[in-house]
Amino acid sequence: MTVLGIETPPVVRRRARRRGRVTRRVLRVLGIVLLAVPLLAAVAGPLFAPSTAAGDVPLQDPGPGHLLGTDVLGRDLLGLLLQGGTTVVTLTVASLLLAYLVATPIGLVVAARGRIVETVTIGLLDVLLALPSLLVLMVLAATGRRSVVWLVLAVAFVQLPYVVRLVRGAAAAPACLAALETMTMTGEPWWRVRIVETGRRVLPPTIVDATTRVTGVVGLLSSANFLGVGLDPLVVDWAVVVDQNMTALFLRPSVVLLPAALLVALCAGTNLLVDDLLERRS
Amino acid sequence: MITRAGVRTGFAVLQLVAVAVGVFVLTTFLPGDTADVVLGPLATVEQIDTLRIQLGLDRPVGERFLDWAGGLLHGDFGTSLATGQPVVDDLAARLGVTVVPAVLAVVVLVPLAVALGSYGGRHPGSPADRIITATTTVAQAVPDFALGLLLVALFALHLGWLPATAAGTVGLAGLTAAMLVLPVAILVSNQLGRLARQVRIGVVEADAAEHVVHLRRLGLDERTVLLRHVLPGGVVPSVQQFARTVDGLLGGVIVVEALFALPGVGSGFVQAVQNRDLPVVQGYALLFALTTVVVNLAADLVSARLVPQAVRL
Repeated sequence: MTVLGIETPPVVRRRARRRGRVTRRVLRVLGIVLLAVPLLAAVAGPLFAPSTAAGDVPLQDPGPGHLLGTDVLGRDLLGLLLQGGTTVVTLTVASLLLAYLVATPIGLVVAARGRIVETVTIGLLDVLLALPSLLVLMVLAATGRRSVVWLVLAVAFVQLPYVVRLVRGAAAAPACLAALETMTMTGEPWWRVRIVETGRRVLPPTIVDATTRVTGVVGLLSSANFLGVGLDPLVVDWAVVVDQNMTALFLRPSVVLLPAALLVALCAGTNLLVDDLLERRS
Repeated sequence: MITRAGVRTGFAVLQLVAVAVGVFVLTTFLPGDTADVVLGPLATVEQIDTLRIQLGLDRPVGERFLDWAGGLLHGDFGTSLATGQPVVDDLAARLGVTVVPAVLAVVVLVPLAVALGSYGGRHPGSPADRIITATTTVAQAVPDFALGLLLVALFALHLGWLPATAAGTVGLAGLTAAMLVLPVAILVSNQLGRLARQVRIGVVEADAAEHVVHLRRLGLDERTVLLRHVLPGGVVPSVQQFARTVDGLLGGVIVVEALFALPGVGSGFVQAVQNRDLPVVQGYALLFALTTVVVNLAADLVSARLVPQAVRL
């Protein structure tokens, strides 16, 4: 904008932009580092982890037998940290995959089949939006359904309305339509044009959207585990460990804070990198 | 406009009905009978049958639903299995403890989001803008309880400035202001990112709008341009985001209350889930869903009034 003398002079502006770019690079590196630590622990950790059998002396100091000490149940803290990330990562990936596998076809069909189908489906899904996500998990837990399968199903289920809306929107994008109209006119069957070809074009924005949902899903799963309405207490999981050791917060903060910090790093790192990715795309 | 508002309100009523049905179905139809669940695996068949009759579970499903729904219309949410008290009494006793931090959070959140968002929007791409965006979105992405624990470790354990928990307090009267600082901070940090980002986008757009450029060209001073023309245009589109924020605050209280042992609606809900007290769970679930529906309805109606072209009711 070059409005006479009122805007900041261009030189200053350019300098600010350049410093902004440096800040952005720093944030990207920070994101990579923050994500690398918990992700490594989750993926490679179980290979090196010491046993997490319960029953040793609880809340031991760090020492030769237990490098980081033990938790309230007498389990090795280092082992808990190295083994507890696997559930977070696998459950997140599983729920997101399931949500997108179900929602993408629905979104495509809805976009292809005209106004009535669209209004009815989106209306039904909007009804679902009225249910806070954590509430669905808590009601399930209250009625005794708290296996891994229910957890994944419920988390995927609460993502549906958002993903269907996104896919429908992407499938109706103008760039998508011009090429597809040509295909329709050359006599291709509707499902080929509207599902297969549109699906291929919708894929990139859908994948980007999936990355923005990762932290939400991690947050939902770990909040449920922290509240004791998620995974079984016997499963080794960072959030479950936090919940179990809350009583030791004053005695030995590290038992609570280290798993919590790994969860924080996982979400913060993912978020910084996703933001960077989104900005590069726009 | 009025007919559209009517349609939107009708849809909200439909949502409420659907949610009531949904909560009932979730707690009734899925495998596992309430009586089984309440008594646990060690109960005898006779005990389960007695409880089934006592709870009216031997009656047809349709009749039970109509009974429950009819009660709801009269403000009767049923009776707690654990305490024998009406669910409504329990809700009323806890509501204040939940509403006070939520209202405080809104009071802090809105000016902060508008300030940060409009600063970022006026200097897009600058280091300050990037750091504001990164910090607020990271704070929002991090699970509430984990962030809360880190804050407790710093301010309560390490520095000793604030109490770590409100455990032992009953009702609103026992709470001190210091007990509310950390819960409110977590509620705010969880919602600040979305709202500030929305304001930022609005301000970037409003700042570049033709009428604003024209007003500057006419020599109107920057303060007036900002306060009278950029901000209103930039903030109004955030009304809908604000609704989601209020809703998120109410969802966030579940975790925050559990973390700080605040005796509010959220921890009541968690307790009911742990006790498998189904009437209470149903009542709380409905209350939360009701809030979501009403807040979203209000936001849609308000923003339709403020920016008619932006909202399709």
